[in-house]
Amino acid sequence: MKKSTSAALAALILAAAPAFAEVVVVVNPANADAVSKEQIASVYLGKSTAFTPIDQSDGSAIRGEFYKKVADKDASQAKALWSKLVFTGKASPPKEVGSSADVKKAVAANPKAIGYIEKSAVDATVKVVLTP
Amino acid sequence: MNKQILATLLALPLAVNLAHAQESGEGPSIKVSGFGTGALTISNTDDAEFGRANQARGVRKDARTGVDSNLGLQADVAINNWLSLTGQGLVRKDAEDDYGAEATLAFAKAKVNDALSIRVGRMGVPVFMISEYRNVGYANNFVRPPQEMYSQVPFNNIDGIDAVWQHAFGDTSFTAQLAAGRSKAPVAVNLNVEMKSLVALNLVAEHGPFTVRFGRADGKLTVTGSASLDGLLGSLRSAGAGYRLPALNTLAGDLVADSKKASFTSVGLGLDWHNFIGQSEYAKRKTDSYINSTTSWYVMGGYRIGKFLPYYTHGQLAVDSVVANTVPAACPAGYPAACTPTLRALSAGVATLRSSGLGQGEQSTDSIGVRWDLYSSAALKFQVDRITPKNGKGLFLNANPGFSHAVTVGTVAVDFVF
Repeated sequence: MKKSTSAALAALILAAAPAFAEVVVVVNPANADAVSKEQIASVYLGKSTAFTPIDQSDGSAIRGEFYKKVADKDASQAKALWSKLVFTGKASPPKEVGSSADVKKAVAANPKAIGYIEKSAVDATVKVVLTP
Repeated sequence: MNKQILATLLALPLAVNLAHAQESGEGPSIKVSGFGTGALTISNTDDAEFGRANQARGVRKDARTGVDSNLGLQADVAINNWLSLTGQGLVRKDAEDDYGAEATLAFAKAKVNDALSIRVGRMGVPVFMISEYRNVGYANNFVRPPQEMYSQVPFNNIDGIDAVWQHAFGDTSFTAQLAAGRSKAPVAVNLNVEMKSLVALNLVAEHGPFTVRFGRADGKLTVTGSASLDGLLGSLRSAGAGYRLPALNTLAGDLVADSKKASFTSVGLGLDWHNFIGQSEYAKRKTDSYINSTTSWYVMGGYRIGKFLPYYTHGQLAVDSVVANTVPAACPAGYPAACTPTLRALSAGVATLRSSGLGQGEQSTDSIGVRWDLYSSAALKFQVDRITPKNGKGLFLNANPGFSHAVTVGTVAVDFVF
């Protein structure tokens, strides 16, 4: 508990750092060493269920940067793609959490989870699989 | 449709929303979402009305909101990690000239494994490339799906069962969907189209920016409640019996839409490469009734500039074949004097079927428009359509006699999701 609190604090401080913080894609330490950009993009666009994706909050800078770098899409383009899946009842959009610390928590708790965080927030609870 | 059930269904997400606010994290999780479009549509003529397929009224020179506006609410309930329930209600102007509510989705979904899921209840019927989200403006670039093609099958839903199988072969993801059941769609007040033994197959392959799709739907088609159609068929049969002209009875049998074989085959292509957007479909409709066999297609291309997406669409609908009008021009010598005028009236009646109801007509449309993603969950669209009817009134509604000229339609729409 203490550890995650301090991690959350650290993430908060880091989140206040310049917006061009580098984004990295992380998975559970028990998972694969590398996942291709294409595979990550298809998970986040609802085309693959190989991982359980975790999103950051709507409108956040890191979310915009992640979709641009990994899927070559604006956050709003990604939302339009998801609305095709949601309103046909085919899939539910990724679960949203509020910070990189919460992403790490969710990824550490689920061997199938995948998420993206600032590079500076990386620690032993997650494993980096891609630096786009 | 039972209005009370619908009212309950539409109220459900609101009640559920309250429950959602107090979510404990235990037990079934409930998610409420919605989509909608607020639009104003205007035309440059008073000679005919422009509307979507299935609509009773369209727009003339006085701008109307009813052509392109709608509101959908959806509730998804995850019972556990393999079973979920989905309900969706849609409010729009359809076969009657009032905003009406319909239950567009109501199904239970069982996830068999990561690749396969089975759904039972009311699902979208995957006849076209965008059939299942054609009413979700936010999910599409154009204001409305090209009417030349999307008028050709009036069914939005299927009541039955479907299986969706998804698998990735390398970087190509493949989705196969097979649905079986029945469907019923109101086309006008009291006029219904029904498809029994409906089987629809939908195959989609996606590779990077490319999407390729094939679809095929087969069923037994019945049209009920058309007084003019029933009257014409009755007159053909009684004239055939009265004047001993069996060809008229045969013709009535060929025209009637009473559990007749019908099929729809289509292919589609999609492109989303950097800033280039493209979408195209080509389809063949075939029926063993007065409903025309047709070819329809469209091409859409766009180029994204930041938050703006200007696009161009061309759509075309042509009749391949109709039931031959075999009403004789005149009665044999020695028949009663009233016989030949009767045949002429019947022949004229049969000739009108070619352009009566159910996407019966020939036309093409050129559209230019722009989508502007002005906010993370809302898009503003402007679209101008130039519609040219061919061999008659095209797909226009309530046309004045002799109407056949090209019409310009303008639309401004705001699409949103929540």
